[in-house]
Amino acid sequence: MSFAIELENVTKRFGKHVAVDGLDLRVPEGSIYGFIGPNGSGKTTTLRMILRIIQPDSGTVRVLGATSGATADDRLGYLPEERGLYKRMRVYSLLKYFARLKGMREPKAAIDHWLKRLGAEGWGRKRIDTLSKGMAQKIQFVATVVANPKLVILDEPFSGLDPLNLETLRDAILELRKQGTTVIFSTHDMDVAEQMCDTILMIFEGKKVLDGTMNSIHAQFSARHIRVRLDQPDVQLPRLLGVHSIQRVGRFYEFILSDQTRSDDIVRQLANQVTLEHFEIVKPSLHEIFIHIAHPGGNGQFSET
Amino acid sequence: MWKIWMIAVREYWAMVGTKAFMASIIMMPILMFGGLFAVEFLKGVNRSQVRKIAVIDQTGKLFEKLNEAVVAKNAMLEAVSKVDEAEEFGKGTEPKYLLEKIDPATLDDELRIELSDRIQKRDLFAFVEIPPNLFDASAIPEPQIRFHSQGSTLSGSREWFQAKVNEFVVHSRLIDAGIDTAKVQAASKAIQVRSLGLVEKSATGKIDAQDKNELSDIFLPMGVMMLMFMVIFLAAQPMLESVLEEKSQRIAEVLLGSANSVQLMMGKLIGTVAGSLTVFGIYFVGAILLAQFRGWTGMIPFQLFPWFVAFQILGVMFYASVFMAVGSSVSQLKEAQSMLLPVWMVMMLPVFVWLNVVREPNSSLAVGLSFFPPATPSMMVLRLATGQTIPIWQPILGIIICLLATILCVIISARIFRAGMLWQGKTPKLSEILRWAIHG
Repeated sequence: MSFAIELENVTKRFGKHVAVDGLDLRVPEGSIYGFIGPNGSGKTTTLRMILRIIQPDSGTVRVLGATSGATADDRLGYLPEERGLYKRMRVYSLLKYFARLKGMREPKAAIDHWLKRLGAEGWGRKRIDTLSKGMAQKIQFVATVVANPKLVILDEPFSGLDPLNLETLRDAILELRKQGTTVIFSTHDMDVAEQMCDTILMIFEGKKVLDGTMNSIHAQFSARHIRVRLDQPDVQLPRLLGVHSIQRVGRFYEFILSDQTRSDDIVRQLANQVTLEHFEIVKPSLHEIFIHIAHPGGNGQFSET
Repeated sequence: MWKIWMIAVREYWAMVGTKAFMASIIMMPILMFGGLFAVEFLKGVNRSQVRKIAVIDQTGKLFEKLNEAVVAKNAMLEAVSKVDEAEEFGKGTEPKYLLEKIDPATLDDELRIELSDRIQKRDLFAFVEIPPNLFDASAIPEPQIRFHSQGSTLSGSREWFQAKVNEFVVHSRLIDAGIDTAKVQAASKAIQVRSLGLVEKSATGKIDAQDKNELSDIFLPMGVMMLMFMVIFLAAQPMLESVLEEKSQRIAEVLLGSANSVQLMMGKLIGTVAGSLTVFGIYFVGAILLAQFRGWTGMIPFQLFPWFVAFQILGVMFYASVFMAVGSSVSQLKEAQSMLLPVWMVMMLPVFVWLNVVREPNSSLAVGLSFFPPATPSMMVLRLATGQTIPIWQPILGIIICLLATILCVIISARIFRAGMLWQGKTPKLSEILRWAIHG
């Protein structure tokens, strides 16, 4: 498998503050990679190092086969969160300017294609400051992809979009992946990340705390969370080994297992003493995983109380 | 180069393609030179004004003579005014007078208060008390005329009045002494010293020196310096706004993802220099058209053109890079303005000393300041515009010093720019900015 981005033991400090701490990362080519993490966790710093806006203090950043350098890479497209457009420019002039900055000499056909693709035909003469937030976000997206980049980095691309525009933009991103473009996006919307991303990376306090496909993440966390219902609701639960915590939710009991405990061990212990009416392995949502890792006072590990 | 060129083109059009720019082009000369035109305009207002002065002549001899002098002066002003309107703007600036005779027998404090009230009500401009012993040269204490008006100390009318009274009194005393006043007048006639430039041989072979006047000696150098100042200001200010917009709207991140900070800064500077040359071009053509209209074409110092352009490019790059560094360090225009206060003070330095420099362009002050990089562009063109001989090594050294300072300034500003553009939140401390400047 070839990788669009490879980070090896990358560290970046700002004064005494360690923004990114020994980060290793591999983003497969042609995938959609989600960056999640609370504010100030090091996402933006990591993205800026990938974009070569800033240089790491140590470690290697390899993007599309090229190691880090001072020169911006024209094969990258970047969409900053919400803003990033000259308000007094007209749409067409602005898109032409950004395309040409990426080395595209004749961008007209590409601009027309993308404006049409996003339902923005006829907007060329409009001034940016006359556009609604959703319209501006679409133009921002066109500016990012118009020069046909191999790697697209999107910072909160769906922020402020209505469901219709969100759908349009999501389809456009999926289309980019079909064409072989690697897409990285950072988001706070865990549902979107869960739906769209092949792989998720979570950074917490500059360190990687989660990295893998959605299936592997679910497998990693769901094995530790089980839910059961007994045939007699008021029966006393037996004493169980390997359980971190138990919580009653209505007629159900939810068990969080200790690290080394397997769910079938618990089921066996329970079945020896009570009659089980229902048993399921709970699949936590990405949102729940995020909250558990990043909750105030958390240490970046998945732990329940 | 392609990226620098693209950034420069955008920056140029962002600067000159706005209504604000066109408004600035028109407003800036009005603000800077408006004072001069206002003076001319006010002179015109004065010309049409008649000042009424009440005279209490206790000698009984002076009023008629003063009245004759006033009539003659008013007639002369009327004649000059007609010539002015036909030929030249700005001459014949003194006001006309109308004298009102007051019976000296009524003079008392009540009358003085009454006349003062009339002055306050603008019915009178002044009232004058002429003592009865005015012609007595041996009187002790010496007789004095009392001229009452609002602001009499600086009043030109008081000076005119004093000159006329002295003329009559001296004349009277000479007659009393049996001296021929005509001979005295002829003997005491003042000699004029004509102000001329150096003797030169013209293209036609004629050897002569040109007349020097206030316009060519003082206002021309000042105009050239102010032009430099305007061009730098009009170029640097949009740079500040442009950088602030790119930072606050997070355009900088997109740009820095497409071009490195040196390309970005160079592109912006080149675009700004091109914009400043456009400003200069507009004012230069405007100045030529005005000069042709007024018949001052000979006064335009075309030989200054290459020096002006060279110093302008360096000055614009110097200040634009400083403004860029400041713009990248702050988040709001208000913060930028307070940070720019010391820069403005240095930038304005030539404006504070220009008159001294014009009088003595080779003085230690003038030479020293013209080698102080932030002031070099304005000071050097100011000195060159005086027409006095400036050793050629001085402007050349000025260009070298300014060039080195500009390169240093651009390098430091690029470091601040790079770090500052990614800085969000509160304004960085000065120590932080210095750290960026040193370490990048």
